Amino acid sequence: MKGIEDMSFEESITALEEMVKRLENGGLDLDQSLKIYEDAIALREHCKKILEESDRKVQKIMEASNGIVKEDLNIND
Amino acid sequence: MEETINVTQLNTRVKNLINNAPGVTDVWVTGEISNFKLYTSGHSYFTMKDNGSEIRCVMFKSAKARIGFEPCDNMEVTAFGSVDIYVDRGSYQFLIQTMKRGGVGNLYAEFEKLKKKLEAEGLFDQKRKRRLPIYPKVIGVVTSQTGAVIHDIVTTTGRRFPADILLAPAKVQGDGASQSIAAGIELLNRVGVDVIIIGRGGGSMEDLWAFNEEMTVRAIASSKIPTISAVGHESDFTLSDLAADVRAATPTAAAEIALKDKKELLNQLNNDTIRLNRALSYSIEKMRSRFNKIDSKLSPRRAEEMVAMKAMLLEHISTKLASSLRNIVEIMHRRYSIVEMRLKNASDQLMQSKIREMENLNNRLEALDPYKVLGRGYSMVTDEGGRPLTSAKSIDKGMEITVRMRDGEIDASIKEIRLK
Repeated sequence: MKGIEDMSFEESITALEEMVKRLENGGLDLDQSLKIYEDAIALREHCKKILEESDRKVQKIMEASNGIVKEDLNIND
Repeated sequence: MEETINVTQLNTRVKNLINNAPGVTDVWVTGEISNFKLYTSGHSYFTMKDNGSEIRCVMFKSAKARIGFEPCDNMEVTAFGSVDIYVDRGSYQFLIQTMKRGGVGNLYAEFEKLKKKLEAEGLFDQKRKRRLPIYPKVIGVVTSQTGAVIHDIVTTTGRRFPADILLAPAKVQGDGASQSIAAGIELLNRVGVDVIIIGRGGGSMEDLWAFNEEMTVRAIASSKIPTISAVGHESDFTLSDLAADVRAATPTAAAEIALKDKKELLNQLNNDTIRLNRALSYSIEKMRSRFNKIDSKLSPRRAEEMVAMKAMLLEHISTKLASSLRNIVEIMHRRYSIVEMRLKNASDQLMQSKIREMENLNNRLEALDPYKVLGRGYSMVTDEGGRPLTSAKSIDKGMEITVRMRDGEIDASIKEIRLK
């Protein structure tokens, strides 16, 4: 498994859901349970961070003589 | 000398010419209504058009009251009226006196023709529809840079799952619009985005026409990236909508379809956390109760209890055993008594019958006693030795015999023998 920081939101939330299910199904020893719990909480934090802290870009794209150009787009006016 | 007149005079002359010209007064005209507007005065202003041309139309309140239906955009009509000049503006218009529904609108006919053609090619097949990505990172938008559409999309997406917005500005109306839209779709395909929204705001069928043109529809259908169409309002329907993977009623709706709600996702995360905590505390609780069970088995108090329990059990068993032994003995005893009694009865009976038999024999023996019969006149004869003499043949003449009687014996000698 790749590091949590490198995981996309989709990968993270899918892994998180899986861990919740595994933990809910039970049958694990205490160490396994705690490990899964820790990982799941870390994934949750990662997902929250993506949701709450990502800065999105709003740009426009154009094809000019010198190739494709991207510029920031201000739509508030 | 050449005449010089002013603008008003010129327009008035044209008006007079037109008003008397044959062919443009009191004529039936067919076409399709667009840009229909009903003013508060009750007068209606709109355009009638066909494939090649259009004309501004006026229908006054009194005329509209006569027609018996509500004209609207895209409606095919046949109108009766005359061309009139509006002198103030130097423009001309068709002044409608009455109007009937009917005829075939050319735009509509074109729409249907193209729809049938592309449908036959399978461009609108449901099986072509792709699933949209759940968490797109970049949303491409093909629309006008200045319209409300991009504004609505940027505003709406701000509240949702974070994704970059990449606008490919396009002309969405008029000449070259479909080429511009197609180029935008192609460009976004080249740079790579996760989903493309193609849209424009509401308008008449003419305004939205670029989204019914073959070039636009084909560009949407051939996009490698999933597409969402958002053209006009809920009631508008274009061929672009049919070709796109998903149709959104409005640009705002398109943004909501493209991206999940941030609040909902945060709620989902919270819900996951609650489930995690619950699952963990449940497994810890289970672990604890397992431990408690083992622990209690290991405690000295528990051991004493166990011994006491076993002792009790043992006692119980031996009590039961003793009582059952006692029972067995009793039963045996009873059975023995019964047998004994029956034996005694049997032997008693046997004895009685034997006694009776003996008595009987005794009686019979007594009856046989020779001495008993002596009383009844019989006598017993014996020889000198005491042996009974029962036959005359065994007796000789002169033999001494003894005759025994009831009350004594007499000795006698044989004088005569007479055989029978």
